[in-house]
Amino acid sequence: MTHEHRARRFGVEALTRVEGEGGLIVEVHEGELVDVQLRIFEPPRFFEGFLVGREYTEPVDITARICGICPVAYQMSACHALEAVCGVEVDDALRELRHLLYCGEWIESHVLHIHLLHAPDFLGYPSGIAMAADHRPEVERGLRLKKLGNRIVEVVGGRAVHPVNVRVGGFYSAPSGSAMHELADELRWAVGAAVDIVRWVSTFPMPEHELPGDTALVSLRHPTEYPILGERLVSTSGLDIAADEYLDHFTEEHVEHSTALHGRMLAGGDYLVGPLARFVLNADRLSPRAAALAAEVGLTAAERNPFRSIIVRAVETVHACEVALSIVVGYSLPTRAATPVTPRAGVGCGWSEAPRGLLWHRYELDEVGRIVSARIVPPTSQNQPCIEHDLAHLIEHSLHLDDQALESLCEQAVRNYDPCISCATHFLDMRIVRS
Amino acid sequence: MTTAPPVTVIAIGNPYRRDDGAGGAVLSSLRERFGDDGRVRLVELDGESVRLVQAWEGSSTVWIVDAVRSGRPFGSFHEVDATRLADLDDTGARLGGGHLMGLGEAVELAATLDLLPPSLRVLGVEGESFDNGEGLSASTQQGVLTAADFLAAEVSAVLATLVGRDDPR
Repeated sequence: MTHEHRARRFGVEALTRVEGEGGLIVEVHEGELVDVQLRIFEPPRFFEGFLVGREYTEPVDITARICGICPVAYQMSACHALEAVCGVEVDDALRELRHLLYCGEWIESHVLHIHLLHAPDFLGYPSGIAMAADHRPEVERGLRLKKLGNRIVEVVGGRAVHPVNVRVGGFYSAPSGSAMHELADELRWAVGAAVDIVRWVSTFPMPEHELPGDTALVSLRHPTEYPILGERLVSTSGLDIAADEYLDHFTEEHVEHSTALHGRMLAGGDYLVGPLARFVLNADRLSPRAAALAAEVGLTAAERNPFRSIIVRAVETVHACEVALSIVVGYSLPTRAATPVTPRAGVGCGWSEAPRGLLWHRYELDEVGRIVSARIVPPTSQNQPCIEHDLAHLIEHSLHLDDQALESLCEQAVRNYDPCISCATHFLDMRIVRS
Repeated sequence: MTTAPPVTVIAIGNPYRRDDGAGGAVLSSLRERFGDDGRVRLVELDGESVRLVQAWEGSSTVWIVDAVRSGRPFGSFHEVDATRLADLDDTGARLGGGHLMGLGEAVELAATLDLLPPSLRVLGVEGESFDNGEGLSASTQQGVLTAADFLAAEVSAVLATLVGRDDPR
């Protein structure tokens, strides 16, 4: 059955989610793709205005409310930017605790996405719940890992959701040695479980597809580490910049169909942030076990198939578990929980790698530490043009599919990018309007 | 090995979305009354389904408190069994904030994996405004006070049945 000579319009309507809202509209007419719009309604714009006039200590807690899935990412990027304004650099012990906290978030975010949001697409289930009935051991393994990620965030961050122990300069209190060491046994199990996940998802049937050739991959980079807390921003197009140079190379534009701004490279072209970009640009910084697994399942630095990002997330989960275990085993109570911070007037930028990709913050403070302006660029808005163009590219090559198969493929493709959007689309009914 | 408290109360919501913070406000009130009681676990979550399932682990009596938008009078509150969430919706419209969609998924997931507690009930406070911003509307604030009193009485009644058994104090 073909659809080349009729108009097809299908979409996913919007659904409110705390961490983001989205919808997808695709129009095909006379066998030609007319339009693809990813509709996202995000709250960061509100938070930017909401922060003005507040104390420099407040963004860490307030911006954590932007996303229920990755509050640590917002906290870390805010800390980095505000510490840049105040001329503060945290010591190695506190940085290790931040690294551990972030590993907890990566673990819980990645395993949630893999097991309940994305794997059902590959295995032909309408939902994670339906899949759980047939793949109970795998789902239970994922939930146990997610619980461990939550526990790490709770031990270091004070509570599992919207952590309250993070402050500019470090933490309000350092976790006890006993609480940290109690994590070790479960982390040892987690490393093996994450290895099993890599091998499991690598067996999934993968659509043959590549990102459009002019899409640049963009990620943080660190001299020695996989770049959860990376220092510079690099790209496959040769970029290598510091946080305060971000606006010299990137911008955001309003588009009619979305309240989220669309990220653009000033040099032109789309760009992608997130696991696939991180892996391609930092495969040499993975832990040895994660790197060996990546090679075992055929991931290389030339990877361009966004569907295989589920495998990258699994590899990154192995890495995060290993890093977390290393930090926990080597932990001793730091001499102080935070580096003293004295506010001063100025502008500072900071960033980190949220599970979904680069998250950039910029703050301007007055002389007493009140916020004059705030700017937040989340990964979703940066990826939005790339997602739309990738979907267009995918649809153009898949018009031979019937409506249901094409819709399913588009939903699956959206989920390659963003767990928050994935959450929204997973709960929605698809509809087709024919004209 | 730590014994899980027999009662868990979970608040869902976002205080930066006005009345979406109703659940957290109810929880704050309960914290004043039960914050030091080892038999009661008080948790604030964002509605993500797996966190919900894992937050009630080990408890036999669980309440979820959330803001809802069901077409009933602002500030009223409604209690239903979590497996009958549709009973909260008088209009056929979606319930407020998206959290209860997450709760519906959580209930289904828990049922599939045999993780449902014996008693899982939802207390929904009818919200008036879910716009960005801080502070509850006056009607929802009143509803929070009433709901908190109701829930405190329910928790106390359950705790009274635990004397001499199942008591981790």
